[in-house]
Amino acid sequence: MKRFGCFLLAWALLTGVAWADSVKIPVAAAFTGQLASFGEGIKNAAILKGEEINATGGINGMKVEIVLEDELCDPKEAATVATKLANDPKVPIVVGHLCSSATLAALPVYREAKLPAISPASTNVSIGKMSPFYFRNVYKDDFQGLFLAKYANAARGFRRVVIFYEVNDYSMGLMLAFMKEAERLGIKILGTEAYTSDTTDFKPQLTKFKMMKPDAVFIPGYAPQGTLIISQAKSLGMKNVAFFGADGLDDDLMLKNPDAEGLFVTTPFLPDKAGPQAAGFIKAYKEKYGKEPNWFAANSYDGVGIAAQAIAAVGPDRIKIRDYLASINSKEKAYKGVAGNTYFDENGDCLKDAFVKEIHNGKWVSAQKQLQ
Amino acid sequence: MDSLLDQSSLFLQQLVNGVTLGGVYALIAVGYTMVYGVIQLINFAHGEIYMLGAFLAYTMVTVFGIPFFAAFILTMLICSCFGIVLDFIAYRPLRKAPRLAALITAIGMSIFLQNLALMIWGSQIKSYPREVLPPILFKTAWSVGDVTLSWLQIFILSITVLCMAVLHLVIHRTKIGTAMRAVSQDKTTAALMGIGVNRVISFTFAVGSAMGGMAGILVGLYYNAIFPTMGYIAGIKAFAAAVLGGIGSVPGAMLGGGVLGIAEVMGAGYISSEYRDGISYAVMIAVILFKPSGLIGRQIREKA
Amino acid sequence: MGFRQLGHNPRLLFFGLLLLAVLLPWLPLGSSTNYILRILTTAVLYMVLALGLNIVPGFTGLLDLGYVGFYGIGAYTSGLLAIHYDLSLWVILPLAALNGALWGTLLGAPTLRLTGDYFAIVTFGFSELVVLVLRNELWLTRGPMGLPGISPPSIFGHPLARDWEFFYLILLLLIIVLLVVTRLQDSRIGRAWFAIREDEIAAQCCGVNLIRYKVTAFAISASIGAMGGAFYAKWFKFIHPDMFKFWESILILCLIVFGGMGSIAGTMLGALILIPLSEVLRAVLPQGLFSARYLIYGLVLVLMMRWRPEGLIPFEGAQARKARLARERLNL
Repeated sequence: MKRFGCFLLAWALLTGVAWADSVKIPVAAAFTGQLASFGEGIKNAAILKGEEINATGGINGMKVEIVLEDELCDPKEAATVATKLANDPKVPIVVGHLCSSATLAALPVYREAKLPAISPASTNVSIGKMSPFYFRNVYKDDFQGLFLAKYANAARGFRRVVIFYEVNDYSMGLMLAFMKEAERLGIKILGTEAYTSDTTDFKPQLTKFKMMKPDAVFIPGYAPQGTLIISQAKSLGMKNVAFFGADGLDDDLMLKNPDAEGLFVTTPFLPDKAGPQAAGFIKAYKEKYGKEPNWFAANSYDGVGIAAQAIAAVGPDRIKIRDYLASINSKEKAYKGVAGNTYFDENGDCLKDAFVKEIHNGKWVSAQKQLQ
Repeated sequence: MDSLLDQSSLFLQQLVNGVTLGGVYALIAVGYTMVYGVIQLINFAHGEIYMLGAFLAYTMVTVFGIPFFAAFILTMLICSCFGIVLDFIAYRPLRKAPRLAALITAIGMSIFLQNLALMIWGSQIKSYPREVLPPILFKTAWSVGDVTLSWLQIFILSITVLCMAVLHLVIHRTKIGTAMRAVSQDKTTAALMGIGVNRVISFTFAVGSAMGGMAGILVGLYYNAIFPTMGYIAGIKAFAAAVLGGIGSVPGAMLGGGVLGIAEVMGAGYISSEYRDGISYAVMIAVILFKPSGLIGRQIREKA
Repeated sequence: MGFRQLGHNPRLLFFGLLLLAVLLPWLPLGSSTNYILRILTTAVLYMVLALGLNIVPGFTGLLDLGYVGFYGIGAYTSGLLAIHYDLSLWVILPLAALNGALWGTLLGAPTLRLTGDYFAIVTFGFSELVVLVLRNELWLTRGPMGLPGISPPSIFGHPLARDWEFFYLILLLLIIVLLVVTRLQDSRIGRAWFAIREDEIAAQCCGVNLIRYKVTAFAISASIGAMGGAFYAKWFKFIHPDMFKFWESILILCLIVFGGMGSIAGTMLGALILIPLSEVLRAVLPQGLFSARYLIYGLVLVLMMRWRPEGLIPFEGAQARKARLARERLNL
């Protein structure tokens, strides 16, 4: 009890004081847990951007503090973290969250506190519509799924596809969007099977797929399972079957797996198509962290950049920042970042291009055939 | 497309998958069943010993460069000791305490160990890099039409059968085995007969943990996925297998493991892959409610 | 002095704490007021849940590992009713409680004759199946998409929005549950439960109908859990199957083990200490040791069972209480 009282006192004291010369930009994502590798990209890029801003004098003389909040992609943690941030007067905007379920849990808190937030990674379709305070600079799942179907049809000529999805909102959202468009284009979905995030034995479902003799297996899931699925499929003797996925498979983990040769995925970020702004970013990231940035990093970098631009324009005022972001609503006013040009529609969603990359000799390269 | 040949290939392949999975469950289940037999406690932390086995072998091979088969033996020894220590610090002091207390302690240990592993190794799924493993394991041993069986699967199955056979011999032909059976029947009388009950219990933990650790290594190899929460899910399923076969019975654990493995795979393949884990839970509940002695277990006598 | 005394003179202490709680939102705590209120609301919610769980292992002596199942059922009942029928919380609460009681009875009935271990396992299996259904039956629960957009509760047309409003609401719920539980403790049902906890066979011999009392215990426990869930849904305004993992059952078990299994004051104290502890650790621990927070709960279980199995405020049976009161009256 006494412990709690001391904590209370300490907290009250700490939060009373406000430093006028710094502004906090919190970055909320999963930095530990199964999806930590995605969170890592977000974290690294945000820190990098923060340092770059401070190196050039901060935002109107204010120092930028990148605060990391780990919510493990858990909705409960996300809501708690959100409350903490909402009640911190030095936080004018939040960059986060990573998983859609975490974003959806935090959303009501931010909405209530009128705190704007921009997600670099949550692709679930409902987010934008639910709050005027939520924005995102990544495309939605229905767009990605649709794009993949178009690509699979036009660029690869698949006619028979099976889908191996994870029981979570990201994966299922992608799957549904893909199926809708695939049906329209005449691609036959031979079957769908599910797995959960603790599954490690995919053989029963893969065996079933093998017997269906598909042209390709669509895996709208995450890399930790994706890499296992591909290896197990190969060990079951699934030859002459292509594998493809979406941004969840876009991870170096896949590169380490020799069976993943030929895998292709959609990505919002391709280093060679990204333009000159990106080149500087890629170089700086590589120098600091020793590896190439993935799209999470690119989006996070842009997210912080957009936040900083807003603060620079209208000051650390939550409502004003929100209105400023809402005003970035056309191609001309778009934020020119490393992951393309970002502008928001009336729901706070953004429209971005998607590209395709594939694994060739253990490295990610732009797919030879792209959709125009 | 759905010719009879295709259907039977599918079925056979699923059978192979199921039996291999079942072998793994059986190895873990044996640990549960033996410990329950002697001290009537569900050792919730057993799943964590399995997980530890996987991690230890992985660390030895990838971090310290110890050759695989040596790491295998070493890991089993360490897991053995670990089981003894676990009993000594967590369960032995509560030997006379009410069952609820021991059960809660077991749960607490399980949580503690899971998170300890999380802290030490991180939550990323670990995989063996191809180079460190004996390449023969990945070659297909036998393939007829569309059905494939790899050497690794054969390795797992044969080790399982071998262990069961050895265990059976130990329990029924050696002195310590007889002591184990005595203790599981009636602890007090066994003590009166001059059996060192605590020693027997420690031995049981040692053997059960060695098998659990071995299962961990094999699974880490077979699926090439090692992560701190793997013990939790596998533990539940193995426990269901032990109950299915008849808790307290080693051949029961083997049978239960096999049946559950096949049921799970067939269920996932033919009925629904979303409820795959639910099959184990449903089996467990059904067995406990309708036939608590399991398939070949002894009747559990209540004091009534 | 010490915790034992706290448990014995609960009324004064309780009203004092209650007063403090009611005044809390108005204390000058600066901008962290809402954060603290949220933590305390969570703590009080867990107090309600713990009081519910306490009935089964605490009063009746059976280990229920599947409590989170009822919590989830209550939350989804509440969420679905709110979204599809736009019912007010005051209608939802009793409905959720009823639903919980129904499932508690369904689970309790077939499992009565099981021993401690098997009972625990079956309850565990049940709650895992419930969560699986919640996760997979999209047509009902939207599965992993979660249920966003649950409307907050409203009083006389004014929707609750501020953190202190929810804090008062959960305090109200706590008081209601406390009244129920303390009445039960001192009633015939309570005495039957304690008899079962002490010795089932002896209780049976004294004419206690095991079936009826065990099922009642389970049903009431489940309905309290469901009410907690109903509040949860309306408070978070978003629910998702991931919020109802087995871990929650363990956490709530940890609270009552730590505080004192069976003791009402102990249960509440356990929640009050352990829940905010998690937040304090979040602030205090460096990044890498984040999972240490969960480790601590495991450790608490093991250490408590080893060294103080009766918990911080031990449960006091009717006999012992009578003896103590008699002693105090005679000033011994």
